[in-house]
Amino acid sequence: MLTLPCPNCGAPVTFRSPALPNRVCGHCRSMLVRSDGGVGIVGIEAALPFDVSPIQLGTRGRFDRRAFEVIGRVRWSWDDGSWNEWLCLFEGGVHGWLGEAMGDFMMTFERPLADAGSAELDRIARGSPAIPGRKVELDGEELTIADAREVACIAAEGELPFTALPDWRIYSVDLKAASGRAASLQREGDEAWFYDGRYVKLAELAPTGLRAIEGWQMPRYG
Amino acid sequence: MAEAAAPQPAAKAVSCPNCGGTVTLRAAGYSVTVACEYCASILDVSQPEVQLVTRYNERATRLAIPLGTRGTLDGTEWEVVGWMARDDSGYAWQEFLLFNPYHGYRWLIEQRGGWSLGEQLTRTPEGAWGGLKVDGERYTPFFADGTARVTDVVGEFYWRVKRGDSVRTDDWVRPGAMLSREADDHEVSWSRSRYLSTPAVAGAFGVPAHTKAWPPLPHQPSPALPFVKAGIVIALLAVAALILGAVVMGGGRTLWQGSVTIASDGRDQQAIVGPIELTRPWQRVRVVADVPALSNGWVDLGYTLVDRKNQASFTASKAAERYSGRDSDGDWTEGDRSATADFATLPAGTYDLVVDYKGNNWIDPSRPPSNFWDLNANEPAPDWRRSGAFAPQIDLRVVSRGGAGGGVFFLMLVLLLIPLGIGLLIHAHFESARRAESDFAAQGDDD
Repeated sequence: MLTLPCPNCGAPVTFRSPALPNRVCGHCRSMLVRSDGGVGIVGIEAALPFDVSPIQLGTRGRFDRRAFEVIGRVRWSWDDGSWNEWLCLFEGGVHGWLGEAMGDFMMTFERPLADAGSAELDRIARGSPAIPGRKVELDGEELTIADAREVACIAAEGELPFTALPDWRIYSVDLKAASGRAASLQREGDEAWFYDGRYVKLAELAPTGLRAIEGWQMPRYG
Repeated sequence: MAEAAAPQPAAKAVSCPNCGGTVTLRAAGYSVTVACEYCASILDVSQPEVQLVTRYNERATRLAIPLGTRGTLDGTEWEVVGWMARDDSGYAWQEFLLFNPYHGYRWLIEQRGGWSLGEQLTRTPEGAWGGLKVDGERYTPFFADGTARVTDVVGEFYWRVKRGDSVRTDDWVRPGAMLSREADDHEVSWSRSRYLSTPAVAGAFGVPAHTKAWPPLPHQPSPALPFVKAGIVIALLAVAALILGAVVMGGGRTLWQGSVTIASDGRDQQAIVGPIELTRPWQRVRVVADVPALSNGWVDLGYTLVDRKNQASFTASKAAERYSGRDSDGDWTEGDRSATADFATLPAGTYDLVVDYKGNNWIDPSRPPSNFWDLNANEPAPDWRRSGAFAPQIDLRVVSRGGAGGGVFFLMLVLLLIPLGIGLLIHAHFESARRAESDFAAQGDDD
């Protein structure tokens, strides 16, 4: 845990983990990067558009019996809408992403592509287009490519493992299995990241510290 | 860090680029398309700048449940944010999109006055014996190769929607729930809808409460089924109880057999016979008396079973009577030479049977009175008690009997089966009307 003044506005900013070198200043929206040499400014984050997500920075919950706290968010858009990826910091320093789209949630964790051992995913990572409907075998389970398209970052907040500035564009492929497993592959140039996990219900995360939304009864879990 | 919790506003207003009307976004951040509730134009709200997609200048359809209406189903409050009318070659229905920021989306679906609550599935059903399985529940095919077309739309949606959009549909059902697959060229999605009682929807959203879907919805549970199921369980239990009763109370068995003699002078007689052993906890006992010589007369028969141990006594009586004669219609006979007397539930014990009896003769009043010129005047009137070579006998047989006699058993069965049968008929009528719409309906009821 490291707390410093924002090099732009002087407001205190906290970095919780060396694995999460980026953070957006909550006061002036500067995108900051922490390095051995100190904290630098790499850009200005956009304001998040209005939404009625029940999640907010500080929301806590449990996934597979491990406690987490939401500490960051990237909002992405594509041709037909936009969605949130909430960064969850787990006990022990691991982080996962709570994806929120169309009122559904999924929790995924980054995983080395080599470890996934899928020839089809390797091809996509190297630049081949992903074809929706095509099957991909992963750990003996059959997944289907549900979607593949270019997405763009709209805005971000809190702490992040990477720099996510407005108009950052990547190629994103979503995969689903009959079991409720969900995975995604993200590609930028010749770099690719793979995330694996499953759909979850908000209730099963037993979240606390949800965002209060005017006129709606906040559910109590746990 | 959680910023101090001033509640987030729930809605955002945008203005329609066509008619200028104020359109409320109730699911901001999720919604992609809005059909203006004033002019019906389709707007794109996925970007900060609202774009006009399709211009309409008509008054938007008045909805049975207006946008913004809230209602509580199964303890969760929902707000109506969108509405679509859909049609599959004349088979029309409407879908209200419900939203709760903490619970996501649901569909409130209405067809023919029947209601269902639909939910998008994040899993794909597994195949199971010609049907499908989700959450351990089995579904059977109902509709196949349908095309669902959007015919009208109002309000906001989390995807791009417009009139004329169509998807290929297949549906599977089980009582109370339907599983639907919708596919376009890009995507396959699965949803499950559960049947809702009309009063529940009426209570939540103020729709008319008295509508009744007929023919029934594909997944509507038969109203007679709980009754029929309960009826079958009750009937099985009752039959088991009757059988158990019969076992406990014993089957038919001869306990004692013998004869007593009838005096020719018709005096009161008494015979004590036995012992009669009753071994089961409870049993019914029958005494059958047979008087082979009986003719134009009767035998009064009174029985008392006396428990040797505690002198408890049980009585029953039944006379045997037999008459015959000749009249203008020819020979006639009446009555029976044997008589049956029953004792209801008797406890176990060793009994004596006390038989009180009396043989009686009957003089036929139609027989001409004897007079002095009658050649037969000296002939005595016939008397069965003394006409034979030996004194007449009563053959007695004491038997124990089953719990409920055949007749009672049958009556109970009928009483159980009549309402069950009526329930089954109602059920069959409902099911055949329900199944008639299916693409998988049996050939016979396909018309």
